[in-house]
Amino acid sequence: MEKKLDKLIIDDTEYVTEVPEHCRKPYEGLPDPSEIKAFIPGTIIEIKVSEGDRVEAGAVLLLLDAMKMHNEICSGKGGLIGKIHVSPGDSVQKDQLLVNLIIPG
Amino acid sequence: MMSIMKSVNDFLTRLSGKLKGGGDKAIEKQKKKGKNTARERLEDLLLDEGSFLEIDLFVEHSVKDFGMDRKELVGDGVITGYGKVHNRPVAVFAQDFTVAGGSLGRAHSKKIVKVMDGAAEAGIPLIGVNDSGGARIQEGVESLCGYGEIFYRNTKLSGVVPQISVILGPCAGGAVYSPALTDFVFVVERISNMFITGPQVIKTVLGEDITQEELGGAMTHASITGNAHFYAKSETEAFNTLKKLLSFLPANSNEDPPVRNPIPPAKPLSDDVIPDNRRQAYCVKEIIRGIVDASDFLEVHKHYAANMVVGFARLAGRSIGIIANQPRVLAGVLDVNASDKAARFIRFCDCFNIPLLTLVDTPGYLPGADQEHAGVIRHGAKILYAYSEASVPKMTVIMRKAYGGAYIAMCSRHLGATLVASWPCGEIAVMGPEGAANIIFRKEIAAAEDPEAYRQEKIREYEEKFANPYAAARKGYVDTIINASKTRDTLIKALSTAGHSRKGRPHGNIPL
Repeated sequence: MEKKLDKLIIDDTEYVTEVPEHCRKPYEGLPDPSEIKAFIPGTIIEIKVSEGDRVEAGAVLLLLDAMKMHNEICSGKGGLIGKIHVSPGDSVQKDQLLVNLIIPG
Repeated sequence: MMSIMKSVNDFLTRLSGKLKGGGDKAIEKQKKKGKNTARERLEDLLLDEGSFLEIDLFVEHSVKDFGMDRKELVGDGVITGYGKVHNRPVAVFAQDFTVAGGSLGRAHSKKIVKVMDGAAEAGIPLIGVNDSGGARIQEGVESLCGYGEIFYRNTKLSGVVPQISVILGPCAGGAVYSPALTDFVFVVERISNMFITGPQVIKTVLGEDITQEELGGAMTHASITGNAHFYAKSETEAFNTLKKLLSFLPANSNEDPPVRNPIPPAKPLSDDVIPDNRRQAYCVKEIIRGIVDASDFLEVHKHYAANMVVGFARLAGRSIGIIANQPRVLAGVLDVNASDKAARFIRFCDCFNIPLLTLVDTPGYLPGADQEHAGVIRHGAKILYAYSEASVPKMTVIMRKAYGGAYIAMCSRHLGATLVASWPCGEIAVMGPEGAANIIFRKEIAAAEDPEAYRQEKIREYEEKFANPYAAARKGYVDTIINASKTRDTLIKALSTAGHSRKGRPHGNIPL
């Protein structure tokens, strides 16, 4: 039952100890606001913007039917609509890329 | 008019039918799953032989919709009453899966509510055995009302009498919240299942494939979610552990826990029980066993947040709750889960007049974006709150490292400890010598001819100055410095002179 011991550094001191698996995950960073993704699997009902449109932060980009609701997928930041990867009727998976947003600056 | 004997015989016929719950076929099905029946669980596995006083066996539902008027549901799917465990009274209920899948309807919930009120009235622990398909859909909102009334009482009883849940079958949807509100949850391998939304719904909605066992099985709740405090391989083992747990607890918050004859530990601590090198790990449970009566330690949350160890033991015959950093895992750091685990345990002990013993050897908080984003600030604050709030005797032993905020959090004098003792190798400082030297002498190290040699010199200097208990003892923050072998004696003295004036329900035991 003896588990292999690892090293853990705290305040420049290196400790010999067990480090459980879930503590080893590297930090994945914050989500990229230029990639609009499906937060839940579902079906695209309507796309409200076209490529090249200028949108404000919070603008509704498309409607996603999931959990018996028409969910508004909004832009987190203002910018230009880049490539639109889906069409109405498409089934999408969780975290699937829907729209690229070109954020100025 | 019926003669007396005729009515007696009529009663016996009715009774024998009722005692079979859902009938032979359903019982056989239950057995095939490796499960005991609700009646066996109460009468054979939990309660003292012949002590069970059943009530409401003849309760029936009064539902008319969906053909329910033609259905007889024995006891409405739950067995309730009172009994004794090691000759001490308890209130009990056990859902009977053989009757309509143990589904919860209005009459079912009213029976549970009645024994909950009985437990409050008598001031005795409540033990619930959950084995139910969930809400009885035919009863609509009445069944939801039933859950709500149970949750309400779970909350009102919290901190008044100990409440213990044993999950011995499915416990899904809203049903999970009654156990979650109770003080301790037991799960059994391959038998227990708890989740809000099952694998089927998750598959449909999210397209994620996950087995029932992975999602909400016994080990999942014992190790990942922390919903379960005790994990057992069999129903028998679970009930035996439960009985042992009860032996440490008073019947209610006005009473002290029962006192046993003191038995010295099997292997007392030697003065050099921990390794010389502060970076070397050891198992704190060995230290605990070297201090407590008969080396007997009942660990709570054994598989969850293993960098913090909590559980019950006895000192000179009296129940104590132990909270200890575990250097063997994650060097004994504090993190989100360890904070929640310790805080809830401390608050339980404070509810039920159980003195606290804190064993300290921690380098600090676990660094990382993961922890910061998981809210280590507000979770860590729970330990500070729980210790500061607790009015039971609070004894602390600093074994080695007590650094920074973690030193304060682990029941320091500043949070109202009754006694703080330190072993001679105790190190009470803002951080370890390496980190401190690197910060204080950053410029000097960089400018030195031989930076590494200079750094080592400064580390040694810091060690000599702070890596000991004397600076803190000079200020009275450490009350006494003792060799490890004197720990048990010192704690027994402290416990026998400590006061505890506040009894009754100081607070509830909110799930943290």
